Amino acid sequence: MSDYHFDFFYVVHGFARLMQGLVISLELTATAIGIGTFSGFILALATSSPNRLLSVPTRLFVETFRCTPALIQIVWFFYCFPMLANVFWSPFTMGAIALTLNLTAFNSEAYRAAIQSVPSAHRDASVALGLSKWTQALHVVFPQALRFASPVLVSNAIGLFQQSSLVAVVSVEDLMYQGKILAVETYRPIEAFTTVAVIYFALSFPISQLAARVERHYARLLA
Amino acid sequence: MNLSPSIIIEYLPALMRGLRMTLLLSAICITTGLVLGFVVSLMRSGTSKILYACSTVFVEFFRGTPVLIQLFWMFFCLPVILHIDIGAFLSATIALSLYMTAQASEAFRAALLSIGSEQKDAVMALGLPRSTTLLHVILPQALIRAIPNLLSISVSLFKESALVSTLGMTDLMFEGETISSATARPLEVLTTVGAIYFAVGFPLTQIVALVEKRILRRIAL
Amino acid sequence: MSAAPFLEIRDLRKSYSRGAIPVLNGIADTMTKSDRLVIIGPSGGGKSTLLRCIMGLELIDGGSIVLDGRNYIARTDNGKTFIDRVLQRQVGMVFQHYTLFPHLTVLQNLILAPVKRNRERKSDAIGRAETLLSRFGLASKLRSYPSQLSGGQKQRVAIARALMLDPKLMLFDEVTSALDPELIAEVEAMILGLADGGMPMMIVTHDMGFAKNIATKVLFCADGTVMESGDPQTFFAAPKAQRTQEFLAKILRGTKV
Repeated sequence: MSDYHFDFFYVVHGFARLMQGLVISLELTATAIGIGTFSGFILALATSSPNRLLSVPTRLFVETFRCTPALIQIVWFFYCFPMLANVFWSPFTMGAIALTLNLTAFNSEAYRAAIQSVPSAHRDASVALGLSKWTQALHVVFPQALRFASPVLVSNAIGLFQQSSLVAVVSVEDLMYQGKILAVETYRPIEAFTTVAVIYFALSFPISQLAARVERHYARLLA
Repeated sequence: MNLSPSIIIEYLPALMRGLRMTLLLSAICITTGLVLGFVVSLMRSGTSKILYACSTVFVEFFRGTPVLIQLFWMFFCLPVILHIDIGAFLSATIALSLYMTAQASEAFRAALLSIGSEQKDAVMALGLPRSTTLLHVILPQALIRAIPNLLSISVSLFKESALVSTLGMTDLMFEGETISSATARPLEVLTTVGAIYFAVGFPLTQIVALVEKRILRRIAL
Repeated sequence: MSAAPFLEIRDLRKSYSRGAIPVLNGIADTMTKSDRLVIIGPSGGGKSTLLRCIMGLELIDGGSIVLDGRNYIARTDNGKTFIDRVLQRQVGMVFQHYTLFPHLTVLQNLILAPVKRNRERKSDAIGRAETLLSRFGLASKLRSYPSQLSGGQKQRVAIARALMLDPKLMLFDEVTSALDPELIAEVEAMILGLADGGMPMMIVTHDMGFAKNIATKVLFCADGTVMESGDPQTFFAAPKAQRTQEFLAKILRGTKV
């Protein structure tokens, strides 16, 4: 088929740089997940609020992030945000913000569905016990919403890890970026890109399998 | 900060050209993906162990890796392997079609599995032959149940199509980026690009939600 | 009305997980053509499994079933279960959860099996379906989808669907258990009508009033065996076995029988 010699020597040589890129990717992912897991819940409360002054703008925010490509979000943030806010932060920061907002929007939809399935009896009970609205939200609704929403939250998180590869387009030196550099420098795209793909896969697949197994286990428990 | 909306008007035709390309590419990849996805889902639900293994590897890989790497791989690596020059359009089409295939096959498979086992009882109690069961009971229900999922996957593909701009394909995103840097007016141009994507994506997601509700009403026992 | 046995169940055994979970431990009984057999008992006692085995939905592990004098289901010596498919087609079953095909109209549900299995002509099948539905007051629902029907209507359509195949024996597995109370009566009336028309049937039910009304013979099934059987009057008035008494006491507490 080909007289192309698979030569992983170059990849091994550049593996250290790939790993550096991976660290950046993981940092971006961790930041987005760390913030997005909680901000998504807060946003969900806002979007389901009976107060239209609150729910309408926040719903618009969520829909904007859900109905547009992640790439445009990242590119927009990279070029336009500094102009608007008159700040000059690193590409990494820009990417992190864009990814976090994206994840927050998607998570809020998951939470919104979950909040609605928290039995209203619990909310009635909270009122009967005289709990403040915030206590109710934090200690009664949030834990249960988290439980109902966790399958979607997990798959959102894994999806975000893969979408983090987009920051390479705005020159953030993540795994994807390093992979592209490596491919171009060594004239060995197959080895380089295959390795990058395998690294992404090696991290995503086990986690999604584990998540599925945990979900099945809990489904049986709570059935 | 001075905004200049006239830029948008001046370059709107170019952006529309890009949108046309985006829609064309999306349509091709969605259609191909749906057809192939159905075939793959059959492989995943059938009895042949080899077919199951191959299709599973395929599906898991295309769902477990970033779309960007899939695009880059097809664009950079396929020409080397096949010794032919593959342009951006073809490699993008291949990559996105395969991605859509993987997603669609899972949607079909989930729909197939969601058909309750009580249907099996009814089918046996009525003594329906195997072919009838497959053709008249299982298949129609699987297709109907898969529609909401397939629609939302299609909208996702429309959004992922923006990535082909990284290969230099002249889609909406590419036009936007080019114009934005040429005119040094990223705010006006990129916001417009985002708005155009939104103007297409938002109604589509609303339609998906509507279809889902109507189908659930029909199929719900 | 012949008094010769129509259905004979001999030492029926069935277990799950290769014998680890026994469900039927030697069930034996007979019924005649004019019998309406009602089976009651606690959950998990094997009632549904018994019906499912008679329908051939589950494979028995031991014993045999004789229908109309012919070998219907039997466990052969080499460990396989034999089912006479021709006889199987003469048995009809209706389940707790209607299991109508949701994507087909009522009419399509009814004619699917006659057309596809019995190669009946579509026009003939449609005619029979219309007649059958009219008989039970459901003619107006011909072109409706299951999702547009009430629970009681769905169940009656399910019964009609089974009747389209001209069964010689009807099995009803807790067909009213999933229905709202006010919808139960119409379904039970339909089954009573069938019984009066001379259809032999086996009914698993929790509704003791209905059982008393329709049964010619009552079976109390628990732990996979028939603990007691008899005609309805003596059965409900003076059950012999201890277990039966306990069960009836729990069920009938507060119920006017």
